[in-house]
Amino acid sequence: MQPLRIALAQLAPHLGVLDDNLARHRELLAQAREAGAGLVVFPELGLTGYQLQDLAAEVAMRKDDPRLLDLAAETHGLSAVLSFVEEADDHRLFIAAALLEDGEVRFVHRKLFLPTYGLFDERRFFAAGDRLRVVDSRLGVKLGIAICEDFWHLGVPETLALDGAQILINVSSSPGRDLAAVNEVGLGTAVSWRTLMRTYAQLTTSFVVFCNRVGMDETISFWGGSEVIGPSGNAIFTAPLFDEGLYTVDVELGDVRRERIGLPLLRDERPELHLRELRRILAHRTDLDLDEASEEGAPGGGDAPGGRRAKLS
Amino acid sequence: MNAAPGSGREEPSDGAERLFELPPELAIDTAIARRVIVDFIGNQLRQAGFSRALLGLSGGIDSALVAFLAAEAIGPENLLCVLMPYRTSSPESVEHGRLVVDRLGCASDLVDISPMVDGYFGRGGEVGAGGEAGLDSAPLRRGNFMARERMCVLYDRSVVWSGLVVGTGNKTESLIGYTTLFGDSACAFNPIGDLYKSQVRQVAAAVGVPEAIIRKAPSADLWPGQTDEAEAGFSYPELDRLLFWMIDKRRTDEELMALGYPLAMVERVKRLVAISEFKRQVPPVAKLGPRTTGVDYLYPRRRPGSARK
Repeated sequence: MQPLRIALAQLAPHLGVLDDNLARHRELLAQAREAGAGLVVFPELGLTGYQLQDLAAEVAMRKDDPRLLDLAAETHGLSAVLSFVEEADDHRLFIAAALLEDGEVRFVHRKLFLPTYGLFDERRFFAAGDRLRVVDSRLGVKLGIAICEDFWHLGVPETLALDGAQILINVSSSPGRDLAAVNEVGLGTAVSWRTLMRTYAQLTTSFVVFCNRVGMDETISFWGGSEVIGPSGNAIFTAPLFDEGLYTVDVELGDVRRERIGLPLLRDERPELHLRELRRILAHRTDLDLDEASEEGAPGGGDAPGGRRAKLS
Repeated sequence: MNAAPGSGREEPSDGAERLFELPPELAIDTAIARRVIVDFIGNQLRQAGFSRALLGLSGGIDSALVAFLAAEAIGPENLLCVLMPYRTSSPESVEHGRLVVDRLGCASDLVDISPMVDGYFGRGGEVGAGGEAGLDSAPLRRGNFMARERMCVLYDRSVVWSGLVVGTGNKTESLIGYTTLFGDSACAFNPIGDLYKSQVRQVAAAVGVPEAIIRKAPSADLWPGQTDEAEAGFSYPELDRLLFWMIDKRRTDEELMALGYPLAMVERVKRLVAISEFKRQVPPVAKLGPRTTGVDYLYPRRRPGSARK
């Protein structure tokens, strides 16, 4: 199998300046194509910048926005993941990551987990997505796309892998903080992320592609350090901290098969056990009957003995 | 205040760190701090449409460090350091300021603020613009007035220099409120406001701030012989370490006492932090309209159209 060349566009978006960022994406797409890349990954909100606050509504695009379609038009024979503020038909705003392939917007993932604590205030400005699906790509494998905080929730990479993803892609705007003296890279945030990426790659026996932005929005600096991790948890490539650039790395997609034959963790997963226990936990947490704890319209509704009624006061 | 028992301080291993005492939990990767701060200074100026900066150089370590980092970010030719002594300021302050200017090769300016300060408070029995009571004004009034006079000079010079005023206050003094509102704390942006004094010393040593400046006792230099530590009653390493555990690591009083701090010190520092909250925030605005600045009108400072043309 021909190796796949992945290009990590570790860029520094201009906050709120869509035109600049669109032009920069176009430029890097062309560079990646020239460099022979098959997959180009841009960071979270690369088209808009991160610390938008009330600007979010002003830079939002619908997924059929001509500016997005123009970018898509430059993806013939290429897969690109990029991120923007998506405005839905009902005018909710989402942090979104799109897969552009062969001239079209093939798929949009809406950020599921919006951190609203510490230095984050996302939930104030954005709606949370509620679908987690893999997408078939022209690369011949399924991609699982997630955005930053999505990967601080174990269920996300796990679900994507169970759904058939062989490449997990996380696009991020991770603010650098927790400056430390003695560790691998001197930055607490970077160490945490590296631990997560290696763990997910190993446990899902998948590739993990992490693209994190650089540059600064207001007081926040973004640390870059984008990475590609192989399905055995080995770092194949690590981009430098803080430096803007387009970094390319070749991977053997066949490594996924080799790893999964040798280490059949996914084969041995027991999602039905998980589901059963999750139903029980959910019922316990809400103090409801199992039937009532299930989401409306959900099939099944639990396999525990019925008869207990809700104990709502 | 004696060193807190059980603080677990280590002897610094490399030569540069022997210049000062560094509680181990406050040690930071100075290369990353330097990189982030230098980028921050460049970005703040660029995004505002400026290429030049200026700052008040006191002769102390904070402003010296900011001068070094600003020179690195924008080049010394784009940096103006303003020395603003008062007649009772220690001569060493100006000497150390000059040491920094010479080392960096940046522009400098010396403005003696004595006539302005004396013109208000009066001098030698001669009543000033502030009236008779000014003649025996308390050091607090005089110190605050001097800090604000320096602010006035800096902001006036910023027009001539066509640059932004860079802040030089550190995290320790900000947290305990050892600053003058609209005086030394006034600035367009502050590159070192999230570094404790001990961390300022660490970065200063790493970027080559002259040793004499790193070694000397920190002082607001408002009267001869004044030092921060004598005024506060505890040392910076002790205070920094306490603030780190209290603020950054959210430790309770009991936990702080277990770290070796007497309850009296914990309570005193907590009070200093609480009563100076107002100095760290923009003044509150009474909410009346549908969209109020700082409440529900929330924009980044730097956005399309916000830069000077």
